[in-house]
Amino acid sequence: MKKENLTNNNITRKDAIKKMGKYAALTAVGTFVILNPLKAQTSSPPDPGNNPFQ
Amino acid sequence: MNNNLAPTFKKLFGSYWVLWYKKSNIYSVVDTDFKTILYQYFDCASLDDFKTKIASVSPNLDYYTIAQNLQAYLEQCNAEYSLDKHLESINIDSKCSITKTYSINGKVLQINFSSDTVQKTIHPSIAHLETNYLSSPDVIFDLFLDNDNLCLLKNKALIKTVPKRDYHKIQGKFAMELFCFIYNNKEEDWLGTFHGCTIADGENAILFIGESGKGKSTLSALLTAQDFELVADDVSPMLASDSCIYHNPSAISIKKGAFNLLKPLINDFDLFPEVIFNKAKGIIKYVPCKKPLKDKYPCKAIIMVNYTKNAETKLDLASIKEALETLVPESWLSPNPDHAEYFLDWLSKTPIYKLTYSNTESVTEEISKCFKQLREQ
Repeated sequence: MKKENLTNNNITRKDAIKKMGKYAALTAVGTFVILNPLKAQTSSPPDPGNNPFQ
Repeated sequence: MNNNLAPTFKKLFGSYWVLWYKKSNIYSVVDTDFKTILYQYFDCASLDDFKTKIASVSPNLDYYTIAQNLQAYLEQCNAEYSLDKHLESINIDSKCSITKTYSINGKVLQINFSSDTVQKTIHPSIAHLETNYLSSPDVIFDLFLDNDNLCLLKNKALIKTVPKRDYHKIQGKFAMELFCFIYNNKEEDWLGTFHGCTIADGENAILFIGESGKGKSTLSALLTAQDFELVADDVSPMLASDSCIYHNPSAISIKKGAFNLLKPLINDFDLFPEVIFNKAKGIIKYVPCKKPLKDKYPCKAIIMVNYTKNAETKLDLASIKEALETLVPESWLSPNPDHAEYFLDWLSKTPIYKLTYSNTESVTEEISKCFKQLREQ
């Protein structure tokens, strides 16, 4: 999933939230990322749109 | 303010802090400026107090927006951790018609599959463990389709059901059951299952991570052909009590693009059957490897793999941010606070590199050097 680092110098919070995506957000001074581990064990995820059971 | 939302653990890695939030099991990588201001926010008794503090840094800063942003960040980091719906142990008639028996570390495992397609979710990766052993197995799994759901039973009790398109979750659950079965423990004993390959030299292990298609499995196959040991391909399990990575007996999955490269290096490569399961992944060969000398190895380094056509082999130090951005979203990590602490401790002792390669000889040489350095430490 795409992750972004944002700074808050030139954009509004609303604009920033739009850009945040799931794992990134903005702060006033600096950058950060938010990383969610999987909630269950998986193997390599299949490519989207391909289902061997169809 | 809002100290109840503060991270449970914080650890400094070079110019980054890694914060862990118990409520959500979230890892957040932040720079030092962010960490400073976040803890100023916690230290302030009120918004007015925060306003004074921010004004002392710079009168141009908008304390209110900063506070709002910090609050939004903290709320996101403290979102409730919710697990998949708990399954009750119910008995289901699985109607499985294909039975396979496997022998692993002297234990016998039986899996019943409802069809050939269903069988392809698990069997090809452990086909090399199949046996004709006839006495009663130590554990029996059933895997079958029920309408549009794949269901996994263990000793006739339902342990996982997922929509069939999410078959990789069944594969992951089965892998976890396999580790618990082989090593006589429970899911809650594991610190995590990392998405990556683990290679050992008989003494230490290195975890290779990277997005799908970056050449992890190909590199693992290359290294095992050069006398290194494969500890795990794709799913590398780490036990909490010793922070070691344990042997995953599944074979290496090799995509067709790497066949020509590996054919001259791996004995009987042509004899391994070609499997097509997910058309998008194309033809795959599952190449089993010799069992490593030990069941577990301490993992002493992380290498982010990036196969780039015609690139020179390069091994550079990488930041914790790059590594966690790759590792965390694709790995299962236990939400147990003790385990999160062990994970951070292990990370703090583990050098992280990024590897760019295309040439098989020089990459093997580079990794050999890396293992040598680890032995000399």
